[in-house]
Amino acid sequence: MGERVEPAARALPAEGRRRRRRRPVWPYVFALPTVAAIGLVFGYPLVMVVRDSFYAGSANFLVYVGTANYRNVVADPVFVTSLKNNLKLLATVPVMTVLALAIALFLNSRIRGWRAYRAIVFFPYILPATAIGLAFSYLLQRNGTLNTLLRDVGLGGIAPDWLGSAHVVMFSIGGVIVWQQLGFGVVVFTAALLSLPPEVSEAARIDGARWWQLQRHVLIPQIRRTIEFFVVIEAITVLSWVFNYVYVLTQAGPGFASSVLEYYIWNNGFQNGSIGVASTVAVILLGMASILIAVFFRLRGRQVQA
Amino acid sequence: MSKLVVRSLLLVSAVALVVTAAAFARSTSKADDPHSGDITYWYWAESDAPGANAWMKAAIARYQKLYPKVHIKLVPQATDTLIGAFRTAAQTRSGPDIATQWATLPTLTPAWIGASVAISDYVPKSELAHWIGTAENQSFGKVWAMPIYLLGVPFVWNKALFKQAGLNPNAPPATWAQLLTACAKLKAKGITPIGMGNKDGYTGAWFFSLVGKQNLNSIDELKQAMLGKQDFAQPKFSGFYTAFADLKKRGCFNDDIASLDLNQGWQLFPQGKAAMAWTTDGNALAWEKTLGAAKIGVGHTPVWGHGKLAHTYDTTQSSDAFITSWAKNKEAAAAFLVWLHTPANLLSWYKATGVFPADTRFSPSNIKDPIAKQLFKLDTTGPAVWPENFLPPQVDGNADLPAGEMITSGSGTPKQAVDLWLRVIKQWKQQHPDEYAKYAKWASG
Repeated sequence: MGERVEPAARALPAEGRRRRRRRPVWPYVFALPTVAAIGLVFGYPLVMVVRDSFYAGSANFLVYVGTANYRNVVADPVFVTSLKNNLKLLATVPVMTVLALAIALFLNSRIRGWRAYRAIVFFPYILPATAIGLAFSYLLQRNGTLNTLLRDVGLGGIAPDWLGSAHVVMFSIGGVIVWQQLGFGVVVFTAALLSLPPEVSEAARIDGARWWQLQRHVLIPQIRRTIEFFVVIEAITVLSWVFNYVYVLTQAGPGFASSVLEYYIWNNGFQNGSIGVASTVAVILLGMASILIAVFFRLRGRQVQA
Repeated sequence: MSKLVVRSLLLVSAVALVVTAAAFARSTSKADDPHSGDITYWYWAESDAPGANAWMKAAIARYQKLYPKVHIKLVPQATDTLIGAFRTAAQTRSGPDIATQWATLPTLTPAWIGASVAISDYVPKSELAHWIGTAENQSFGKVWAMPIYLLGVPFVWNKALFKQAGLNPNAPPATWAQLLTACAKLKAKGITPIGMGNKDGYTGAWFFSLVGKQNLNSIDELKQAMLGKQDFAQPKFSGFYTAFADLKKRGCFNDDIASLDLNQGWQLFPQGKAAMAWTTDGNALAWEKTLGAAKIGVGHTPVWGHGKLAHTYDTTQSSDAFITSWAKNKEAAAAFLVWLHTPANLLSWYKATGVFPADTRFSPSNIKDPIAKQLFKLDTTGPAVWPENFLPPQVDGNADLPAGEMITSGSGTPKQAVDLWLRVIKQWKQQHPDEYAKYAKWASG
């Protein structure tokens, strides 16, 4: 294409060439306010966060400490616990994906009232995390509603201190996250299933495919890209959007057993005024989220090509 | 043409001069006038003294009626973000003109970075002389905040449940051995001995202040431990975690202590479901109304340690009020704070909250309730110290609170709790060299 355009450009009179050279400037001028706004809103804070990660002290008395913050953070058991907890929460992604997919496939069978069921399943997703956290902090007390119910039906042996025990607390938080995020998956998968051309399923049925075979070999492969999208989005969510749950349910307790990286950043940055440490962990978290975002874009690129 | 330009310039200059002079005169009169100006007050006290928010709102309305040129905007603060919110305000040098903090380190730490002004620079000595507990907020020869009320932390017991367990209802446990005996007897009768909540870490932090201090001879020893000049791992400082873990192991606490926060755990006592607790004066008086005066006893924490502080009581001003360095109307802010200490306001505070004002002008004759009289006597007789006030906020939040949670949840041993303290003290020194230096200077007197 370029080779064909170039001779034509050469043939233009001198005035025309000047006009042609000037023309490309304007798009950049028009884009400048947006670029400047993005630079101010995202670029500047990003640069400052990276810069602050090399400093210690309070905001108005910063002292350059080189990479000491990175070394100290990595050596801090609370940071390690927080990182591990974020990774543990990643385990909720396959759980919510499988559950959401199963429910979506079930609803896709057009059972009576499937739209109402979909709305019911989606309902927790629109509730604020704070309200959910408060409700569950009461439900999950050692002598709360859930354990009272379990004891009443003779299952007192499996009624632990859901939020007060360091061994159980991450399961409890993970369970609450799955409960809320499930609705999003169901809606996304249902929408994807509804958009599929019915001919393929009908052909499979005529060929004698049973219900499970239809789901497993016909429907699920067709919404694979949507599933991948959901997995990446949820992985980013549980990595960097779980602060609300942790703050309201446990405040990272007992004894930092349920701390996550976001809480670690908030605690150091806002409670302790340790800007340097908070910035250091923010940089680390940004790196981790960037990897997931890169995976997401790669998958999306494949989707576009397909 | 040139004449016109010159005239125009002269006119513009004259107008600018007049406007500047007017603005300057206005700002000068505002700054100098203690009864004029806008004041934003970040206020916290409700958790300590139920009824405090309503009282302050009414007090502001009265003050604004008295001085119509003063406009005070009251912004109630949350407990768990009290320190963090002001830290952010201090970093941006914006927000409140008057702020609330817990006494001593949470108040002095922002003062050391220039976020507040010494209240003793704005209030006459004759007025300061009436305020109780100013020593808690003294640094480098100045007083940095105004106390509003006295908060005693009594040990309370349910006399009816004591009687039910075969214990003398009029003889509360005075020693640790007696406390353990009482626990065993109450448990044997199916009564929860001590009702508390530690999901938010405050029971553990209180235990540090109530029991942890008991092996110390002076609060200076704790300051030295914070500076790393004494070893916090010594039993003298941290041996109380063994006693705390022992109480938990013996089943002296309610079994859900780890999943209830302090306020939730407290409800067990007025409901008659727990025989003992530690609480605040205000709550003790509220529980008296629920249970009946004959059923509740208030007194000292049982003695566990052997230091001189073992026999001190547990009174603090808890929270205080100070003027920020960026406040535009410091004189007006100071005048309002002083007005809060007028005898009429002290009395109305007491009537609204049942909590004793931190001022010698409050007459004890206003106290009619027999339990309140006992509490006032406990609060004002003999030496009192609340060690949590002397912890750097980072150490309090990242060690004191979570270490106690580790014990009550069973997720950590006393040694692990102490290791957490040592690590956080070290982190504080690394992350806040400025704060550490000021603390060292302050600790050296």
